[in-house]
Amino acid sequence: QLERGCALHTAARDCQSSLSSQDVPAERPRAVFHTSESDPAKHTEQHEGRLYHIPLEEVKAVFPHGLPHRFQQQIQTFNEARVMVRRPALELLAYLKGSNLAHPAVRYVIYGERGTGKTMTLCHVVHYCSRQGWLVLHIPDAHLWVKNCKELLQSSYNKERLDQPLQASVWLKNFKTSNERFLQEIKTQRKYMWGKRESTEEGRPLGEVVEQGLARVRSASDAVGVVLRELKLQSPRGSFRLLVAVDGVNALWGRTTLRKEDKSPVSPEELTLVHNLRKMVRNDWSGGAIVTTLSQTGSLFKPSSAYTPQELLGREGFDTLDPFVPIPVPNYSPREFESCYSYYLERRWLQHEKAHTEDGKAELQFLSGSNPRQLDRLAGPL
Amino acid sequence: RIMPVRWSRYNPSYLEPEVKKELYEKPSEELTEEEREQMELKAVRPIKAAPPTLSSSVFTDPMISKFTNMMMKNGNKVLARSLMSQTLEAIKRKQLEKYHKAPENEKETIECNPYVIFHQALKNCQPIIGLSNITRGGKTYQVPVPLTDNRKRFLAMKWLITECRENKHRRTMMPEKLCQELLQAFNNEGPVIKKKHVLHKMAEANRAYAHFRWW
Repeated sequence: QLERGCALHTAARDCQSSLSSQDVPAERPRAVFHTSESDPAKHTEQHEGRLYHIPLEEVKAVFPHGLPHRFQQQIQTFNEARVMVRRPALELLAYLKGSNLAHPAVRYVIYGERGTGKTMTLCHVVHYCSRQGWLVLHIPDAHLWVKNCKELLQSSYNKERLDQPLQASVWLKNFKTSNERFLQEIKTQRKYMWGKRESTEEGRPLGEVVEQGLARVRSASDAVGVVLRELKLQSPRGSFRLLVAVDGVNALWGRTTLRKEDKSPVSPEELTLVHNLRKMVRNDWSGGAIVTTLSQTGSLFKPSSAYTPQELLGREGFDTLDPFVPIPVPNYSPREFESCYSYYLERRWLQHEKAHTEDGKAELQFLSGSNPRQLDRLAGPL
Repeated sequence: RIMPVRWSRYNPSYLEPEVKKELYEKPSEELTEEEREQMELKAVRPIKAAPPTLSSSVFTDPMISKFTNMMMKNGNKVLARSLMSQTLEAIKRKQLEKYHKAPENEKETIECNPYVIFHQALKNCQPIIGLSNITRGGKTYQVPVPLTDNRKRFLAMKWLITECRENKHRRTMMPEKLCQELLQAFNNEGPVIKKKHVLHKMAEANRAYAHFRWW
């Protein structure tokens, strides 16, 4: 009871201090936990624990892929997208704002226990970067590239590697939606041959490479490789800033569940997509940043209690990623829990009569352990 | 070995476990005489083991637990409970989407609470009168007979579950189909309500044999 009182007191204090800035007026006490600041660049510690609104058209443009499935369902049910501003995201944004783009790209690894909000932190950072005009290379879940692949073709470029046309074409389509204007501005730097007859000349816009990958699905993985290479070569020049956002980066160094036709297991290096992505995640280029997330939920052959970078990346991955900035994501603090709970109440998501009482709230906090995913799952049927 | 299925093997001195928090939070002055005696008795008498379905959570509902138990197959309570919670969530999502898209004057008419919908749907599915087989002179007649509350609730739940298990496409999930059926029953339409009406009509048709009933 004491900490509830404390949380409300701090919230009230912040409300008074933020009334001077153009935040929500005091006639709607429930909306204390919302903020009208929808530009991530202006989020500060004052906005910690509050939910900010992203217009739906922007969601479709910036996040064609990448938002967690339950969050997408929530957007559809509530008809709006609200993301909570949390401390790890604010920390990352501060680092990005103060980073020197002439230096080699800094790697940030977001880690934490299951369901604490790592993917949402990544999406917050991606939103900030797209608002600032960076080119965002967002891979929604690297685990999808190492498991459940229906078609594995032998790559035409390099005999030992294997291609994944379906995953590559899906990714190219989403990449096109999120970065339309850059595809016209960036030009290729050398001639690329797609098979015997088709080729892309030097100096053509990158959009043509993407079109080629979408039209000829067989060469989609090679198209992805070309796109990544071009972006890496041209980003140090400074005409655009590049953000590489990879969710589930531990998939690049683990094992796969795929097998070749002679039933021998495939290791991740033999997949073109993974090979090219590994080259991207090395910090030998400048003019941007690399933000990655570890994820146990989609990972293969890793115990469910593993969440630290050491356990999930393995020795090889850890050595490759070695100088990185770790960003831990904890469970909800009491203030964030209050904020989430009152958001659900305001949106009529918690319909059970007892959920509106203090007892119900205490029970929700105890049962979920302030874990965002558990709270979401518990509040579903209530 | 005799398993205590219908009659309890406990010594009569054993007391039932008390789960409600409010009783323990009351200070001793507010307790009535019987409650004071009960508390003193609890200090000396042994207490029976609490069954796993008994919970002190504020969110438990006996009808929902009964329905979950009826949906359970081979003792897989975990699966039955998750199906139930997915059903409730699906109902809530559908109703909330309708609510947010409706114009202002219709917003009050849309019911979003999945528990209210569930209880109302069950009430709408309960038959008022049932049929029972009575044999007279070699022939079996279907005689209209009043039903107890328990029997009505059981029949409503049984019809809902059998309807959802049998008449659905192979690829539809149980929560989806149950959600559809519950919403239809809430609006007094759908196959379960039809079955109830058919039963009522049969009972009405067999009115003449009502005097065969002797209880």
